[in-house]
Amino acid sequence: MTKRLLMIDDDPDFVSGIKAILDTADFEVDVAYNPKDGLNALQARHYDLLLLDIMMGRGAEGVMIARKLRKDPKLREMPVLIITGMREQIAFLFPGEPIHPRFVEVDELVEKPVEPKLLLEKVNSLIATAEARKAVDK
Amino acid sequence: MEAKSKILLIDDEEVVRDSCTQILAGGPFEIATASDGTTGLSLVAGFQPDLVFVDLKMPGISGFEVLEKMQEMDPTIVMVVITGFATISSAVEAMKRGAYDFLPKPFTPEEFRLITRRSLEKRKLTLETISLRREKELLREQFAHIVSHELKAPLSAVQQNLFALEFELTNALNESQKEKFERIKARIEDLLKLINSWLKVISTDISTLKQSFKEIAVTSAINKAMESVETLAARKNVEIVKSLGEPLPPIIGDALSLSEAFVNILGNAIKYSQDGSKVYMNVEEKSGKIEISIKDSGVGIPPEELPHIFEGFYRGATGQAAATGQGIGLAVSKHIIDAHNGTITAQSEPGAGTTFLISLPVQKNGTNPAKGQ
Repeated sequence: MTKRLLMIDDDPDFVSGIKAILDTADFEVDVAYNPKDGLNALQARHYDLLLLDIMMGRGAEGVMIARKLRKDPKLREMPVLIITGMREQIAFLFPGEPIHPRFVEVDELVEKPVEPKLLLEKVNSLIATAEARKAVDK
Repeated sequence: MEAKSKILLIDDEEVVRDSCTQILAGGPFEIATASDGTTGLSLVAGFQPDLVFVDLKMPGISGFEVLEKMQEMDPTIVMVVITGFATISSAVEAMKRGAYDFLPKPFTPEEFRLITRRSLEKRKLTLETISLRREKELLREQFAHIVSHELKAPLSAVQQNLFALEFELTNALNESQKEKFERIKARIEDLLKLINSWLKVISTDISTLKQSFKEIAVTSAINKAMESVETLAARKNVEIVKSLGEPLPPIIGDALSLSEAFVNILGNAIKYSQDGSKVYMNVEEKSGKIEISIKDSGVGIPPEELPHIFEGFYRGATGQAAATGQGIGLAVSKHIIDAHNGTITAQSEPGAGTTFLISLPVQKNGTNPAKGQ
């Protein structure tokens, strides 16, 4: 079954580069270029994985989305690949916490730009992990 | 019109107030006077003096008290004590309460003018420092923002599309074309690394760093660092062999910046190691210090470069270190470790490898329960 992914990132050129890679692996990719459209899309249909940019707009608007995901019982099980401009920026946003704060149950962090092999590896492993969790819960 | 310096004279003797005012007449000064400490202090908020002359022996509150209270109101006001009872102990007392200088009565007009000039010079420097600090902070924030958004984002987008393009064309490219891709990707990666280094340099404000110091475990900084270099190590198939001694007492510092320092050094070790080799990291306590050694068996650093590697902008023989911001990284690491009252040195043998040695002082404890004191 074709997996459906959503990407939320405000840089259309960057998105295009990522989408091209995911297209070759037969993923169906929807895109939202701002948090609001992103959240609407998440409510409109089911996604197997979310690619989330942390730094959008004036600052870390992506964090707002991540927090909403955590609060939504339906969405918190969805795996998230967090894409950051700089790993250390995450550390500055959450001082004192480990560099990778767990926003949702299944998430991982990669830095821009992402090499194709690494991207596909992470996406596949996150989807697999989330599915395994679901199977156990049943 | 020349900016006037504001001078406040607090002295109970009218003749002193008048003669001082006379001496300064004609100069770029705005002068206010008060005959006792309380009145003088009440003028500070409105008049906003640059320089205040305070007599020690006055009816009402003493000159010492005036000094104290004025410091509290505005520590940047320059205070000079004038007094007929010039003793060493009163001079010391005055200095302790923040006085910049001490002028015994009687004084000549020239002495008074000289002290006025020097004191106003000090005031000017103090204000300049404050203003420069503020400007620096603003520039730093703006620059960090500009660098990360205007420079980094577009470059990331370029690199990402390059990755995608090469990926799509993988089977259609001949060797020469693949090589061109590699060259382009490598140079863009260098640029991205340089920008990252600059961002780190800018974001690491050493002067405020110490304010955030608290008791931390060195291992937490090390683990953070290991996480950060994971991808790089995996890409080069380099294994980091960690050996932690026990027990490792806590130190006083900042885990985040310390981990950044380790990231730079580990990154260095990995980058200059051969694919498939190992990097050894050893941490143990030795006579009141935590000693960390990071050893690689890579290309090593030529002896003529070794003394300069922590300098920041030193251009290595190939010039590559500077291009990738490597030099900046090590300089920042040294600053961070210096701020932790530690030391960092490097030993190297070209062709055999490099060892970085970091030493951090352990937090001094009155009693050590482990030792049963």
